[in-house]
Amino acid sequence: MIPGASVGEVVLDVKEVGLTLEEHLILDGVTFQVKDRIREGITTGQVVALLGPSGVGKTRLLRIIAGLDAPDSGTVRGLQGEELPAGTVGVVFQDYPLLRHRTVESNLLLAGSIGGLSAARSEARTQELLKTFGMEDRAGFYPGQLSGGQKQRVAIAQQLVVPRRFLLLDEPFSGLDPAALEDVSKLICEVANLDEFNTVMIVTHDIRAAMAVSDTLYMLGRASKNGKHVPGAKIVGEYDLVDRGLAWQKGIMERPDFVALEHELRGLFRTL
Amino acid sequence: MATKLARRRSKAAAFGVFNPNHVVGGRVAGLIVAFWTAIALLLWIASPWKTLPTPPEVIHALHDLWWNDGLGPELFTTLKLIFHATLITTVLALGLAYLTVVPAMRPLVQAASKLRFLGITGLVFPLTLLTGGGYALKVALLTFGMASFFVTSMAETVLEIPRSEFDHMRVLGASELLIVWEVVVRGTLDRALEVLRQNVAIGWSMITMVEGISRAEGGIGALILNENKHFRLEDVYALLLVILLVGLGIDALVGLLRAVLCPHARLGKVRR
Repeated sequence: MIPGASVGEVVLDVKEVGLTLEEHLILDGVTFQVKDRIREGITTGQVVALLGPSGVGKTRLLRIIAGLDAPDSGTVRGLQGEELPAGTVGVVFQDYPLLRHRTVESNLLLAGSIGGLSAARSEARTQELLKTFGMEDRAGFYPGQLSGGQKQRVAIAQQLVVPRRFLLLDEPFSGLDPAALEDVSKLICEVANLDEFNTVMIVTHDIRAAMAVSDTLYMLGRASKNGKHVPGAKIVGEYDLVDRGLAWQKGIMERPDFVALEHELRGLFRTL
Repeated sequence: MATKLARRRSKAAAFGVFNPNHVVGGRVAGLIVAFWTAIALLLWIASPWKTLPTPPEVIHALHDLWWNDGLGPELFTTLKLIFHATLITTVLALGLAYLTVVPAMRPLVQAASKLRFLGITGLVFPLTLLTGGGYALKVALLTFGMASFFVTSMAETVLEIPRSEFDHMRVLGASELLIVWEVVVRGTLDRALEVLRQNVAIGWSMITMVEGISRAEGGIGALILNENKHFRLEDVYALLLVILLVGLGIDALVGLLRAVLCPHARLGKVRR
């Protein structure tokens, strides 16, 4: 355990979530808890990663946590034990959808207006976020004029206009070059640490990138029987990287224990 | 050396216009249009067909039609008719297309779309009984001709909106009505104007036939049929030229409207 670090309240409680689509069992009793990360003297949100191979049901689970789909069984609850309907959890989808007929600034202002902010508050928050995300000079641009990385930043900023405890990022590292990957990783940590109770959940199959930014990893996968996958994914592993001393440190990716865990996870991935 | 390079480049550009998928600049595109216009004019001048009046004959006929035969007021009558029908078509077709978001209304919209297979000729009688003939009949025929195609295209456009665009608004906390406004109505406005552009062209191409059904109110269609009847070929070709040029003008006007209202629309276009 890293000195001065501990865990606090449960901020997200996913219990026995099951989902069947067209008679195919997709999720089978998915259960995990995300707990508040506490670091003495520092505001620390948490970054958690939901890992799993392609097609295992990660995005389905993301949609349930985001309140977009209802599970067939089980519950998803927040910090106070409350349900999380659509609109309470921020989601940045893989293709970073933004309203293409609105400019960057207008997309952010709309999020403020939907979230019930006054016009003045919405304007102030928009300008603040444009500055934070280095997009001031792109305020008048349409999404069609932005690069993939810029779109991603605006999509994240839009979800933060109205303060939210949860932000889900679907495959945020997909198609990024090493430099962009580093920028996105840094951005994810910054967003998480904006508030003590912030939780950024990354849904990805990129093990190395997820390990580099996360405090906790949850592995979603299917069991195997006689060399065949048993239908219905569940959490097959939880890895506390803070506990293992593999979080919040520079140059972590070169450490032998980081590399060893990465290899272990890759091996596990192939069986899921 | 520099001159040699410039000469080689200009030679490559000249031959490039014959290469598939070659990108040309605005100036070259203009030259290509000028070239084909000149070819068309030459073919017209050198035409061996006796039934095709020469350009000076057509220009002379146009002068006569304008100053002596009241082409101006007739053109105004026709423009009023097409504008009236387009207005009703737009309201009706867009209203129906947007209603596809309501499951209970989908069969109605699909039925309206299928009416395009009916054709206009058979509808003259029932629509005459319904409208009492005259101007109202012409508006009804044009509206029917345009609206069934307009509904088909726009309903398809609405149907093709990716689910992620709706979900994106849901995770921001937007109401379903606001989602319809932002994603369905405003989000497809550029496409709606493009479909409008095509349907105005359909309506404009029907104008001669529709105005011929009831000639009492006049119009350029009635005028061309009268000239046809008396075999005044110069007048007929002059009127055809007017129909073509006014049609192109209307097309450019709707295009301009689209460019002004939807500046984002051109951003997704790639010149080939």
